[in-house]
Amino acid sequence: MNQASDPPMAVRARGLVKRYGEVLAVNGLDLDIPSGQFFGLLGPNGSGKTSTIHMLATLIRPNGGTAAVADHDVVRDPVRVRGSIGLVFQDSALDRTLSVAENLRFAGLLHNLAPSVIDERAAPLLDLFGLADKRRQPVGTLSGGMRRALDIVRGLIHHPKILFLDEPTIGLDLPNRRKIWRFIEKLRAQTGMTVLLTTHYLEEADGCDRVAFIRGGQLVRAGPPRELIDQLGKYVVEIESDDPAALAARLAPVLGNGLKDGDTVHFRYADEDVSRLAELQSGLGPLVRALRWRRPNLNDVFLWVAEGRA
Amino acid sequence: MHWRPVYAVLEREVVRMMRQRTRLLSAMVRPLIWLFVIGAGFGAVLDQPGVNYQQFLIPGVLGMTMLFGAMLAALTMVYDKESGVMRMLIIAPFAHYWIVVAKLLAAALAAIIQALLLLVLLAALGYITADMRFGLLAAALVMTSLACGGIGMLVAAFTRTLDNFAAIMNFVIFPVFFLSGSLYPVSRLPAALKFVALANPYTYGVDLLKHAVSDKLPAGMGADFGVGLDFLVLAGFSAAALIIASWRFSRESAYEPMIHILTGKRGG
Repeated sequence: MNQASDPPMAVRARGLVKRYGEVLAVNGLDLDIPSGQFFGLLGPNGSGKTSTIHMLATLIRPNGGTAAVADHDVVRDPVRVRGSIGLVFQDSALDRTLSVAENLRFAGLLHNLAPSVIDERAAPLLDLFGLADKRRQPVGTLSGGMRRALDIVRGLIHHPKILFLDEPTIGLDLPNRRKIWRFIEKLRAQTGMTVLLTTHYLEEADGCDRVAFIRGGQLVRAGPPRELIDQLGKYVVEIESDDPAALAARLAPVLGNGLKDGDTVHFRYADEDVSRLAELQSGLGPLVRALRWRRPNLNDVFLWVAEGRA
Repeated sequence: MHWRPVYAVLEREVVRMMRQRTRLLSAMVRPLIWLFVIGAGFGAVLDQPGVNYQQFLIPGVLGMTMLFGAMLAALTMVYDKESGVMRMLIIAPFAHYWIVVAKLLAAALAAIIQALLLLVLLAALGYITADMRFGLLAAALVMTSLACGGIGMLVAAFTRTLDNFAAIMNFVIFPVFFLSGSLYPVSRLPAALKFVALANPYTYGVDLLKHAVSDKLPAGMGADFGVGLDFLVLAGFSAAALIIASWRFSRESAYEPMIHILTGKRGG
């Protein structure tokens, strides 16, 4: 490997394995995330995303393989790894009995920040999320959205080089999600922070420089979102039918295997010219209740990957 | 390791304790009930000339305050596991055994503060006078609170949820208290109970407290052991408890299921 021309890596994993009894949660995962990248780790429930993040954050030990975060080995040097990362969990990591300011003070002191530095850094963040006048309020009295915002502020108070966000906006309304993303975008631009995101809201992953889909603990597809979407096809054709199974069987030789979703079957369509679809519809007659086509998006990639077809 | 993270854990414990008024109030009321209700009752039954049972109970109720105070503070570790706070601790940049060290110190600090508050109350009531050995008392408070914190950390390290808090109360805190020299001189216990009391590290904490107020104790009901032995047992036990609890907490099999509880298994 040519060290000189390679960008520095924020995360490098090779053959990462995590086993829980009989279950292989992560199965030989390779991952390269260059410094400064906004990287999305995507996949269905139970695909190994959270286990991967936890191994990279040194909270659980891999059963096999190696991983380095900010050039520190996660097994040999976990303390240095933790010093380089910020982590926002799926569930809040706050003390509900302490106030907003006390929580940030606690988190900051744990990262060995001086109280004056903590105050200095917290003020603009609290302003941004409308928490400035709630500094003295116990966290338990905040709304879910505010707690989430505070949790993210908490994960950023020590200015980590790499930020792990595990489903950070789960349960948040759209305005709050937007606010958080705008903020993280700004921070990335200012500091060059690397962000590793897992999310179920795939439109959030659209903004990633690169995404990787994992399934069964293995990486099945990775690339810039645009590229992955383009690889899927020019269009996704959705056909509604009273007998979706028969429809899928009829069209398999023409359009390839479809993806059944209730009464609707999704097909990938590689041609820019959609005039053929009208013919197709008339040929199928009463088997088609409705037919429409649209540009694919990351959700489609997710669905095809989840089904193991992409 | 830097001192700020340890300080953070201590500060949080004190802030929470001062905010939980009922916890603090019961920490003061509990020993006073023992002193005035049980103490007066037993005193009347004993009815030996020259034996003031209430005076004998002073080291015992001081110890009791520390035992309960340290245990409750140490058990917040289990609460922290259930709530999100442990997440903040386990992702902080220091080895995980420091969490146990800081928590034990926080539990000891909470116990000492409560014992000092009780001492002020007892002094106001005339039970503490200027002729006690304050140096030894200070040492006894520190050593006993550390040992009590150690008992608490051992329990916390092996406990997943606070559902069985009643069991901890019945099978740990009460036996540790009753099977010590708090309520009766160890030397007068029947052989079997005496054996258990001798194996109970808390006994030596109460004994050290007896040394500190020894001039006030009734004849024949003073300390059972030497100051040196008390120190040795308390220090040895605290260190052993710290090591075992740290080992248990750092072991992956112990904290990995905990991380699943903490982080949820949504999203795999």
